Amino acid sequence: MKTRTFFATLSMLLLGIASRSVAQSLDEFEKTVTEHTLENGMRFFIVERREIPVVSFHLYANVGSVDEENGMSGMAHMFEHMAFKGTKDIGTTDYDAERSALNKVDELVAAIQEERLKGDGADTERLKELESEFKEAQRVANDFVINNKFSEIVEENGAVGLNATTSMDATRYFYSLPSNKLELWFSLESDRFLNPVLREFYKERDVVIEERRMRVESQPVGNLLEDFLSVAYKAHPYSRNTIGWYSDLDNLTRPAAREFFRRFYTPSNLTAFIVGDVNPQEVIRFTELYFGRLPEGPLPQGLWTREPPQEGERRTTVYAQSQPLVLMGYHKPDVTHRDDAVFDAVQDILSGGRTSRLYRNLVEDKKIAVAAGGFPGFPGNKYANLFVFFAFPTPGHTNEESEKAMLAEIERLKTELVTEDEIERLKHRARARLLAKLDSNSGLASQLAAYQVLTGDWRNRFGTLEDIDNVTREDIQRIAKTYFTERNRTVGYLLTDRAEPPTGR
Amino acid sequence: MRRHARQNHRLTSLLLATGILLCWSTTADAQKPYDELTYPALRDVQVPDIDRTELPNGMVLYFLEDHTLPKVRGFALIRTGDLWEPSDKVGLAGIVGQVMRTGGTTTRSADEINELLENVGASVETSIGGSSGSASLFALKENFPMVLEVFADILQNPVFAPDKIQLAKVMMQSGIARRNDGVAGIANREFQQLLYGSESPFARNVEHATIANITREDVVQFHARYFHPNQIALGLWGDFESDAVRSQVERIFGSWEHKNVDIPPVPKVDTAVETSVNYVSKDDINQTNLRIGHLGGRRDDPDYFAMSLMAKILGGGFSSRLFKLIRSEQGLAYRVGAFWNAAWDHPGTFSVVCNTKSETTMQATTEILKEVRRITEEPVTKDELRLAKDGILNSFVFNFDSKGEIVSRLMIYEYYGYPADYLEKYRSNVENVTADDILLAAKKHIKPDDLTILAVGRAQDFDKPLDTLGDVNTIDISIPPPPQGAKGEVSVR
Repeated sequence: MKTRTFFATLSMLLLGIASRSVAQSLDEFEKTVTEHTLENGMRFFIVERREIPVVSFHLYANVGSVDEENGMSGMAHMFEHMAFKGTKDIGTTDYDAERSALNKVDELVAAIQEERLKGDGADTERLKELESEFKEAQRVANDFVINNKFSEIVEENGAVGLNATTSMDATRYFYSLPSNKLELWFSLESDRFLNPVLREFYKERDVVIEERRMRVESQPVGNLLEDFLSVAYKAHPYSRNTIGWYSDLDNLTRPAAREFFRRFYTPSNLTAFIVGDVNPQEVIRFTELYFGRLPEGPLPQGLWTREPPQEGERRTTVYAQSQPLVLMGYHKPDVTHRDDAVFDAVQDILSGGRTSRLYRNLVEDKKIAVAAGGFPGFPGNKYANLFVFFAFPTPGHTNEESEKAMLAEIERLKTELVTEDEIERLKHRARARLLAKLDSNSGLASQLAAYQVLTGDWRNRFGTLEDIDNVTREDIQRIAKTYFTERNRTVGYLLTDRAEPPTGR
Repeated sequence: MRRHARQNHRLTSLLLATGILLCWSTTADAQKPYDELTYPALRDVQVPDIDRTELPNGMVLYFLEDHTLPKVRGFALIRTGDLWEPSDKVGLAGIVGQVMRTGGTTTRSADEINELLENVGASVETSIGGSSGSASLFALKENFPMVLEVFADILQNPVFAPDKIQLAKVMMQSGIARRNDGVAGIANREFQQLLYGSESPFARNVEHATIANITREDVVQFHARYFHPNQIALGLWGDFESDAVRSQVERIFGSWEHKNVDIPPVPKVDTAVETSVNYVSKDDINQTNLRIGHLGGRRDDPDYFAMSLMAKILGGGFSSRLFKLIRSEQGLAYRVGAFWNAAWDHPGTFSVVCNTKSETTMQATTEILKEVRRITEEPVTKDELRLAKDGILNSFVFNFDSKGEIVSRLMIYEYYGYPADYLEKYRSNVENVTADDILLAAKKHIKPDDLTILAVGRAQDFDKPLDTLGDVNTIDISIPPPPQGAKGEVSVR
C-alpha cells in the first residue's frame, strides 16, 4: 500500500501534471516519510520502500573541513578514517589495558611535538630517544587491536557500499544491509558515535598522507584545484583543501581528534536517513533505544567568516607533466539563496548535453576543447561558493583560446536573452534527471540528507523543480550580469611543464 | 504444529520465570551488542519474470515491466568489438561506436537528434568496446515511443557525417596526448601491455598513426559488417505495456534484414608466464604506483569461485590480508588490493595494486610478494573463509535490487554463452568452496615465481634499487608523433 503511494505520488510530483498539484503531491509523498527527533537532538528520517528486502543508511554529520582551525587541516577527514577503527567493545582484546597503552602513546607524541617545536634548539638525542619509545609504545598498544573488526562485522553481514566521505561541508557515513539486519546498523552505528576508540591513530595518519599523495601530487588536476581555491578565497576556509597540508597532517594527534569529535559530533549535529524495507515504528523504537544513549551536547558554533567581495581578477598557474586545463570561477551565494535554481539553469544551458552552448561552440564547432562546461557549488554548497567554468583544450590548442571562447559565451548571456526553447528544454531535463536518479535507496538517502541539512528541509529536493519552473530568461541575464564579472573572477591554468620530454604532436 | 506450540508455550513460561528471577532489571527492550543480535529470516525476493522473445529476423528481446516510476530504460548488446579491428586501424571500432550516435541518420541530422532527445530529457548512447558493442536509452514514459524510434534509427541508419568523424578523431587524439597525465592511467595501461603483449588486441594502444589510417569508408563498412538484427539483443525495462512495445519494436526493427555474419574467433592470448621487473619513470611525483600479477582465467573455469574467494581474502575489501597488513598495520598505502579479474571469453588477469610513497616502494613490494606466496602455500583460516563467504552470501539479495541489473545480467550471460542460472550456480558454488579448494586453486593459478612487477614512480627515491628484484626493463612511454602527411580523407589540423 505504502509502496504504491510512494511511487505514485513521486511520479505525480515529478511530472508536475499541473503546477498547482505539486504541493498536493508533496503532501502525499510526505506520508511515506517519517520524521523522528530524539531528546538529545539527533534527527531521523525514514522512507519506506518495501519492494526489495534491503535498506540503506546514511548518517550525515554537519561537520567538514571548513570547521577545522588553523594548524588542524585534514582533521575532519582524519576523524572519518578513525570512525572505522572500532569502539570500546569492538576491535580490542582488552580495552582497559589498551586505554593505558594508548595514553602512553599520546604522552610520547606530545613530548616529541614539544621538542620539535623548539626548531633548531631541539635536542636531537632526546628526540631520537622519544621516537624509539613512541614506536615501542605503539607496538604495545597494537597488541590489543583486533584489526578492522568494525568493517569485518559490517561486511560479513552482507553490507554493500560500506564507506564514508568528507567534504568541505560535511562528513557522511553510509552502507546498505539486507533488511533483516536492520538492528545491526543501530547497534554498530550508535556504538561508533558513543564510544569511539581512535586506535592505530598514527598509522592511519600515514594512510591519509598516502591518500594526499594519490589525490593531489599524483594528479595534476588535483594540484591545480588546490592552488585555484587558495587564490579564489582569502578569508573563508573554502580556500583549504579538505585533505590537509603535510605539515598539519604530520602533527594531528589523537587527543586533538577526540576533542574534534567531542565538539562536532554532538547528536544535534547528526542527521540520519534510513531508506528501504523497514517498518517506521520499529525504526523509531530502535532510534530511541540505541541513539538515545548519545549524551546531549551543544550545537557546535557556526562559522562567521565571510569571504569579502573580490575587487579584481585573480590568476594562478600550475606547471605539471600534463596537458593544459583552464578553470574560471565566479563567487556566488550559498545553496539557500533564492537564485540557486537560476544557477542550475545556467549550468544546464551552458553544459547540459550535446545541445549545450559550451559543447556546441568549443567542442563541436571550434574543436578547441575536448570537454567544456560550467557548474555551481564548488567547492561546497553550505557557504557562498563558486560557479566554475572549465575546458580541456585539444592538442595544438591553448587555454587562452578556450578562455576567450568561454568568456564570449558568458558575454552572450548578458547581452541577449536565452531562447524560449532553451528554457523549455532545461525544465524537461531537470524533471527527467531527477526521476533518473531515484532508483537506488542509497542515492535517495544521500540526496535527501544533503537537502535536509543544507536547506533545512528534504522537501527542497523536489522543490527545486518548482523553482526551476519559475526561472525566467531575464533571471538568467540578471545573474550573468551580477556575478559573471571580470572583477569577481579567478582564473586557473594548468600548463605543460617545459621540463617534460616532447610528446610529439 | 500444535504440539510444537504447546511445547513452546511451556518453554516460554519457564524462560519467563527464570528471566524474572535472574535478571529483574533487564527489559525486553535493551540495546544489544552486535554479537548478541538475532535476526529474522530474510524475506524472499520475488525475482521478476523476464519476457524473452525473438523477432523473425533473429533480434532477441528482453522485456521487464516495472510500473513503479514513469520511465523506461533500455540496453542493447551488439556482437562486435574492437578486438576485430585491423591492427593498423586501432581506434576504428571506437569511432564507429561514437559517430553512430553523433553523426546523424539518413532522415535526421545530428542536431535534430540531439534536440529531439534533450528537449525531453531523454538520452541514447552507443559505444563499442573489447568484445561487444552496446547502446542504451533513457526516456520518461510519455516520450518513450519517440525515443525508441530514434534509438532504432541510430542503430540501423547512421550516416557517419565526415565532420563528426573528424570530431571523434580529435577526441581520440586528445586522449592519446593526455594518456600520460595521470599516473594511475600509465600504470594500468602498461601493466596490461606487459601481460598481454603490446600488439595484443586486448592491450594495444590507439596511436596517432592508426587513427590517421582510418577513413570514412572504413567506418561505414565496419558498421555494415556487424550491425544486423540477428547480432543484437535488446533489453527494455520500465513503465510500458509489453504488447504495445512489442508491436512498435516489430514495426521499427522487423523490416531490418537478417544477414549471416562471420565473426572471427576471439583472439588467442599467449599465456606463457615469466617473471619480469619493469619500471616507468615519473619523476614529478612522490608516490609509486605498483602493479604485480600475471595473466589469469575465465569465468567458466571451475576454479573461478575458489579464486574469487582467494582474491577477496588476499586483497578484497577492508577485511583482507593486504588491507590489514599494508594499510592498517603498516600505514604504507591508502590504496591496496588484489583482484582475480576473470573475463567471459578470454584469460583475464591476476593483479595486486598498491600506491605507496617512493621511499617505501620496495618495502611494500616485499610484503606483497610474501603475501602472494603465502596464499599458495598455506590454507586460508576457517575464519577468513567464513568471513569471505558470508560477505558474498549475505549480500546476495543486492543482486536483485536493480531491474536494469537483472535484465542486463541475463543478456550478458546469453551473449557469452553462459547458462541463465549462472548467478544461482555462483551462489551454490561459493557455498561449497573449502579452504583446501582455495589452496589447490591458488597453487594451480598463482605463480609467485613468475610475477610481472611494474613500478611507476621516481626510482631515485626508492628505499632500495628495483633491480634487487631482478633485471629491470625500463619502459619508454613517450608518445609516438603523428605521421607526416597522414593519409585518410579526414585530416587534422
